[in-house]
Amino acid sequence: MLAASVDTVFSHKVWDETELSKMIGEPVPFPLLWDKGGKMGQLYGVYDPDLGLNLRGRFIIDPDGVIQAIEVLNAPVGRNVNELIRQIQAFQYVRDHAGEACPAGWTPGKPTLKPAPSLAGKVWEVWKPEN
Amino acid sequence: MCLRPGMKAPDFEAQAYVKGEVKNIKLSDYQGKWVVLCFYPADFTFV
Repeated sequence: MLAASVDTVFSHKVWDETELSKMIGEPVPFPLLWDKGGKMGQLYGVYDPDLGLNLRGRFIIDPDGVIQAIEVLNAPVGRNVNELIRQIQAFQYVRDHAGEACPAGWTPGKPTLKPAPSLAGKVWEVWKPEN
Repeated sequence: MCLRPGMKAPDFEAQAYVKGEVKNIKLSDYQGKWVVLCFYPADFTFV
């Protein structure tokens, strides 16, 4: 887990000490990066030049360094950690189980699909939204 | 550049604050591991 904003590491330190660590009862356990001038945000396409800030962009990157998921929220709405964890679990599952796919709303333990020509048009027989 | 899933994540290097220390961090330090990279607008914002 890496978090980044345009604030200095000194600002990150004071924010952690005065607020974040009080929310969670310990110092933030992951690095808070100093994205100087929004260079990283520009590289990842989440920098808003009018605001001079990065939007709430979130990237899941696999062990090969390949981006598997992107979410970008505008500033006033926060993220959902449960959905983040669900997506990581699903991408880890399909990485370890070649030929399988995780349908909408999949969580660990739920059925997966094995895409093949014989399944085309017949997903309804093996999967329902309430699954 | 507009990144899409399936593309290689661009490498970067940045100073970071972590548990009382300032460290230099590169994305490539995490080769072989899953990484969640989160951008946020600013420290001391509200959500």
